[in-house]
Order: sequence, then structure tokens, then C-alpha cells
Amino acid sequence: MKKFVNDPENFVPDFMAGIAAANPDLLEAIPEHQLIKRRNVDASKVAIVQGSGSGHEPAHVMAVGPGMLTAACQGPVFAAPPVDACYETIKSVATDAGVLVLVNNYQGDRMAWDMATELAEAEGIKVKQFHINDDVAVQDSLYTVGRRGVAGNFFVMKACGAASENGASLDEVLAIAEKVNNNVRTMGVALTSCIPPAKGDPIFEIGDDEMEVGVGIHGEPGRERAKITSADEITETLYEAVQTDLPFESGDRVALMINGLGGTPPAELYVIYNKAAQLAAETGLTVARNYVGEYCTSLEMAGASLTMLKLDDELEKLLAAPAETATRIF
Amino acid sequence: MSTISIDQVEKTIDITCDTVIRNEKYFSDLDGLAGDGDFGTSLATGFKVIKKELPEIDKSAVGAMLLKISMICSKHVGGSSGPIWGTGFMRAGMVAKGLEELTYQNLVDMLGSAIEGIVARGGAQRGDKTLLDALWPIHDKMQEMDGSDLGAVLAAITAEADKAIDETRTLVAHRGRASQVGQRSADTPDPGIVGIATILYDWCKAYGVDYSPNAKELNR
Repeated sequence: MKKFVNDPENFVPDFMAGIAAANPDLLEAIPEHQLIKRRNVDASKVAIVQGSGSGHEPAHVMAVGPGMLTAACQGPVFAAPPVDACYETIKSVATDAGVLVLVNNYQGDRMAWDMATELAEAEGIKVKQFHINDDVAVQDSLYTVGRRGVAGNFFVMKACGAASENGASLDEVLAIAEKVNNNVRTMGVALTSCIPPAKGDPIFEIGDDEMEVGVGIHGEPGRERAKITSADEITETLYEAVQTDLPFESGDRVALMINGLGGTPPAELYVIYNKAAQLAAETGLTVARNYVGEYCTSLEMAGASLTMLKLDDELEKLLAAPAETATRIF
Repeated sequence: MSTISIDQVEKTIDITCDTVIRNEKYFSDLDGLAGDGDFGTSLATGFKVIKKELPEIDKSAVGAMLLKISMICSKHVGGSSGPIWGTGFMRAGMVAKGLEELTYQNLVDMLGSAIEGIVARGGAQRGDKTLLDALWPIHDKMQEMDGSDLGAVLAAITAEADKAIDETRTLVAHRGRASQVGQRSADTPDPGIVGIATILYDWCKAYGVDYSPNAKELNR
């Protein structure tokens, strides 16, 4: 294992400190609760929080900023954050307008946020919870009852963050989360495994000529272990699974995302995007917005996921609204 | 009617920590008969932290103390036991919020709320062979009694937990990891139920309450 790690036990606090150090005007880190929050929280607006295991960056602590999340906390790599961190995250940004907790559908995350939400409610904090489950690959999995929440969570965060900035109420922001989740679908594929620093070994074995189709973001098994094929053929598999699931139909306006899982270079993601855009055109879809890059990763796993969101005027405006996070290109 | 002071609550939690830590291997061995064999270790890992932090924990009120214990459980108790025990302490703590001493009715309400929370978290029903099959009859018994003699209450609820071990012994587990082995879980006691009974029996011993257990798991 070759990684930029000091003490593996301090991997999460170390990178969180780095995020805060790189964004001193925008963000504040509270290391004892593994959380990052916006510096200027507007009490009149709904706060949006999320949190999960680490290893999926930029989700979620790097997705904090105006127009996105208000705060987020991290557990150890691939393990749910502890209840007290979740509770402190809600409390740290509790506004008069209320707090919306977005949870990717994984058992561990749900239990931690359930308890934290209950505790916050008992403290008189106005808080609601929403579960994201966009992954079409499998119905139940190693760590879930029901579908998993994966890269589609970006669109939920983005749309809810924008709605909050517009002054929407807690119920209205919750309705946006529901609308996005009902219209977003994802499937991923892994070409390699990944190594959590504290574990030191790959989380699963995969042959040089194999791929895991429908992989989860913690390397959980998906639909099948198959022989690797061409980029276009892999893209067709992902696209078909996603397109037929909703289904996305001729005339729909969509957002199309090709998300890298951490170890795949941008150029390869654009090879996939090229084919996906062709396939969308063949279906009669209009790609109104596109996203190519890393949004929800699994450490250094080589692989990608394809996400599509069916848009209406409201969602299109929310996605186009300005936002700022720890990750910047300019 | 006598009340229960925060010092007594603390002492009882400390006794509970000793019970769980002492039975780490035994509870894990029981769990290994049908489950994944981690119950004793999971629970003991958390209760070792509780034991260590108990002297320093916020004791301004019973609620605050129990909420802190809930946090330790959910953080340090592994597997599904963490959220289950964490939720139990959290719900009990919410009922005891701001209380510097507890009446008998407070205790009954705390247990009732803890049970509700555990049901909501884990979704278990009566006869699913979980620790709730000990907690439900205990709560029923506590509601029947008036609490004027706490020693009598302790003996009576220990008897309920003791009885639950044998009554659920032959059932097939429907929840938790043990549910995945189907028939193999029949004829093995549920470690959660044995855990509750063992804790209560140890409370009897610590507070000088006479009780003669029936289940072989309590006669070791």
C-alpha cells in the first residue's frame, strides 16, 4: 500500500483539517465532532446537513458551502459517523427555519441519524430527515434494506441547497429532496478495488480482466462480476440500466453525470460521457446539464457511475443557481 | 414513597458495567451458538468505556447522565447492539431529563419509553427472540406493582427475565444475525435475554435481594 498517510488512525482528522485550512473564510472545522460547517449560517434559512463514512470525497464534508450543504460530518473510512457527531452537526447549524438531514440509504448511517434526529427533536430543534436511494443496481445489499444512496445525492444536495438559499421552508425543501430522489437514477461499475488506510488491504478481490457491474460505493457486490469490455459497451450497460429504470423517455430534459469513483482519470470519464450523450440523444433525451468529474468516490477505486436526473423548470433553475464548496477549479 | 437518587443510579450502572465486562466471553460464546459470536465483546467494549468515564460524566440530572451513556453505547458498542442499547438509554434519558431523583413511576415510564425506542429502531415483535422478550414482561410486571418495596420489584422482574430465557429457548430467532441461521437458533437461549437476566440477578446480589434463579444460564 502506497498512500499519503501519516498515522492511519488520523487520516480522517488530517484531511478534514486540510479542508478547513484551505477554506478559512468559507468553512469552520470542529474536529472533536468530525464536522465541517459554513462560517456564516443564516438563521432565516433551512440548514441542510449530511454525513456518512469517509472515503467518498468530495461527498460530504467537501460539499459544504453556500448553495450546498450547511454542515456535514464524517465517520471513519466507510463507517457511519457516531451519533454524537450527527447530533452535534444538527445542533451546530440549527436555525429557526429548521434543519433537513439528507441520508444516503445505508443501515449504519440511517441508525446514527435516526438517533441524532430524535435527540435534536427532544431539544426542540426543528428537524426532518430524508433518505436518498438512487442506485438501480440491486434491491437490497450487504449494508442496506432497499436501494443504496450513491452519486445521485449530489443533485439532492444541490437542489435543496439552492431552494434553501431562495428562502424555501423546511417542508418545501423536503419536497424538493423527494422530487429529485424520485427522478434520479444511478449505476456504477468498478475496475479495481480500493484500500482504506486503517485496513491496509483491498476491500475486495478483483481480477485484472474483471469488472464489478453495479458496484456499491464501499465495494459491495452489484449485479454481476463480468469480463471487462470496451468503454462504449460498459457505458451501454450502465445507460440501459439507468434509462429503463425510471424510465427516461423521449422528450425528457435531463441532467447527465459521469462520476469517477476515485482512481479513473478525467479523460476516461469523458470517453464514457461521449458515448452516454450519444445514447441519450438516441433515446430522444435533451441533456440540459452535464457533470463529468468526481462527486462521490470510493477512495482510489478505478471505476465510474452514470447518473441521470429528469428535470422540470424548477429543478433546472435550482441546479443552475450559484454555489460554492471546498472543491474549486478556478 | 422512597425515591431513587442519582448516586444510586450511578452505582447501579457501575454494577451493570461489571456484569457485562465479567461476562464478555460467556455472552459471546452464547451468541456463537446461533449468531456471529460478537455480542459479549461488542457490549463489553462499550461498557468498559462507560465504566471508565462514569466518574467524570455530567451528573447534574439523571437524564444528562443517561444521554451521555447512550452516546458511548452508540459510539463504542459494535454491531446492531450499539444503536439498540444506545436507543434504550437515550429514551430513558429523555424521560429523566432534568430529574435529580427518580420516583417509581419515572422508572416505569423510562423503561416504557426505552422499549418503544428499541422497537422503532429494530422493528422486533413479541416472540422474535430478542431482548425485548425480557423487557416487555418486566415492564408489564412493573406496571402491576406499586413500587412501595423496590426489593420486591427487583425480585419480581428478575423472575420475569429468568422465565423469558426458558420461554424463548425453543423459539426460532426472527431478528438480528441469528435469524439467518433459521432452525439452528432453536434450543439456544437468546444472549440479549440472558444478558438482561444476568444484569438483574447481579443487581439482586448487590442490593441484598434474595432470588433463586431457575434458568441454567443463571446457575453457573
